[in-house]
Amino acid sequence: MSEPLTLAIPSKGRLKEQLAAVLAKSGVTMTQTAGARGYRATIDGMDGIDVMLLSSSEIAAGLVSGDVHLGVTGEDLVRETAPDIETSVAFLKGLGFGFADVVVAVPRSWIDVFTMADLDDICAAYAAKHRKRLRVATKYARLTRGFFARAGIADYRIVPSVGATEGAPTAGSAEIIVDITTTGATLVANGLKILDDGVILKSQAQLAMSLKSDWDDGRRATADVLLAKLGIES
Amino acid sequence: MNTSFPTIGEAHIEALESISATILRAFKTRGYARIQPAILQPSEIFVDRSGEEIRRRTLELVDPAGREVCLRPDLTIPACRHAVETKKPLPARLCYRGPAFRWRKNEPAAFAQSGAELIGLASRAEGDTEMLALAARALRACGLTHFRMMVGDLELFATLVDALEVPAQWRGRLKRHFWRTGYFEKLLARMVAGATNAAERAIEDLHRLKPEDLRPAVEALIDKEADAPLAGRTRAEIVERLMLQAADGASPRLRPDVAELILNFLAVKGPARSALEQIRTLTKPVEDAMAGPLAAMAARLDALEGLGVDPGRIAFVGHFGRNLEYYTGFVFEFWCDAGGGALEVAGGGRYDTLMESLGAPRGTTAIGCALQPEKILMARGAA
Repeated sequence: MSEPLTLAIPSKGRLKEQLAAVLAKSGVTMTQTAGARGYRATIDGMDGIDVMLLSSSEIAAGLVSGDVHLGVTGEDLVRETAPDIETSVAFLKGLGFGFADVVVAVPRSWIDVFTMADLDDICAAYAAKHRKRLRVATKYARLTRGFFARAGIADYRIVPSVGATEGAPTAGSAEIIVDITTTGATLVANGLKILDDGVILKSQAQLAMSLKSDWDDGRRATADVLLAKLGIES
Repeated sequence: MNTSFPTIGEAHIEALESISATILRAFKTRGYARIQPAILQPSEIFVDRSGEEIRRRTLELVDPAGREVCLRPDLTIPACRHAVETKKPLPARLCYRGPAFRWRKNEPAAFAQSGAELIGLASRAEGDTEMLALAARALRACGLTHFRMMVGDLELFATLVDALEVPAQWRGRLKRHFWRTGYFEKLLARMVAGATNAAERAIEDLHRLKPEDLRPAVEALIDKEADAPLAGRTRAEIVERLMLQAADGASPRLRPDVAELILNFLAVKGPARSALEQIRTLTKPVEDAMAGPLAAMAARLDALEGLGVDPGRIAFVGHFGRNLEYYTGFVFEFWCDAGGGALEVAGGGRYDTLMESLGAPRGTTAIGCALQPEKILMARGAA
């Protein structure tokens, strides 16, 4: 029997509950055990799978590094963590929960700014006038850089934000934000609007597979059985 | 050998040292004073000048005090900053040698540079000639005589855009993106097609207003958002820009013949003298505006010929702008053919807004070049 396959799932919160509901519907039940290194679980009736309960960002990091074989976490976190996603992670199935958009938002008072092209003009004008760059508060530095580069925007700087990103323009720590939103209500409450073409990513919880981990025949076979139960063709 | 983290031996070390020393000697005999900027620099001086893009290639770290520092991605910005901070009398001539650091796939992030900056010389033409002579002489002193050159001029393009019939609000966009191959072509196509989205419909409503009603309407729009932060911009600035957009109308379009002329200009590529003739013919409709920058480019070619560079080996490339954003005008690269491929052994250009952005008086000119000792050594080995 080969080494076990590692499946990482969220250890707490709404994602954990919603995943449990999806799994239950597929007839997959887990038994949680407290292991030496954090939480562990096993899938009833399936040997060869080592379930680890981790935080969403740890799961994203594990998928990118190859420390876990399969994982359930937000697509936004995986894309933000992976330098080169094509070679590190494959998304197998959107799970139909954890929906959220990563968006570019600017103050609603900027009534002349509708699109990324407008933002480009504003960024360049600001840099020319103030000898410094407009600031974008975000915890999605990688996604922001990629999206801004595709929109041809160079005159900005990222200010790392750890929480309450939407408050940055009012607080004066940044002018623009890139943040996750589900309904947009928090943005509106903070006097912000999403740009017409400012949706960077429509994210949801994904079952993803690491391309960096060790996939021997035994693990592949185990994964096929699990994926079949979940209704996914591998 | 480990290609990303190489260790080099004595012969190689000495060869590189000797090349760097030779270059610096060539700079010093022309009155360039050597400086040595710190290898660790505050990140913001690069990000504020070159934009967030540079961070993709910059090796950054956070020091124990929480400050973002980086391994210098170039020495031009630290050198210019030094000139501003120490209030160097202008024109200032500075040179340096040492490693610069940029992340590159499958190549070491650290590479040697030996460069010179000429800051605050009032005559741009004299500055261009001096810098070209400096670079060419330094390369020759290193034993490279059979180089090719590539030249371009961001000012030629900027002048063209200003002279052509282009909606006012789009001029800056075209100039900013001129060097982004692929993106720029799409941008032009979008401008020709005109786009329709919710935003443009809002502008169309404003556009239909009588001129005297426009300002009140725009002010009413911003008043509705009085709760939202202005975030670094002024109310007046926002109102003016929306009024400018409204004046152009909801879907301004770029004339197809103008777009074609721009594309044809960017496609010009070849031996410099005939390329300039091609541009002269292409830009006939705006010949008055183009006369100045075209003459300046011709003068640079004359200067190079005077330095003994065969004009047949100088290529003018219409879209050549270098990928560091602070370049503003004339740009050049020196290339050597070696074995299987071509090596860029030196490059440089004019960055006439960088000094001002660092706090120098408006209009302080600057031009510089950097030679690459590692590439020079490879080219010499292949010759």
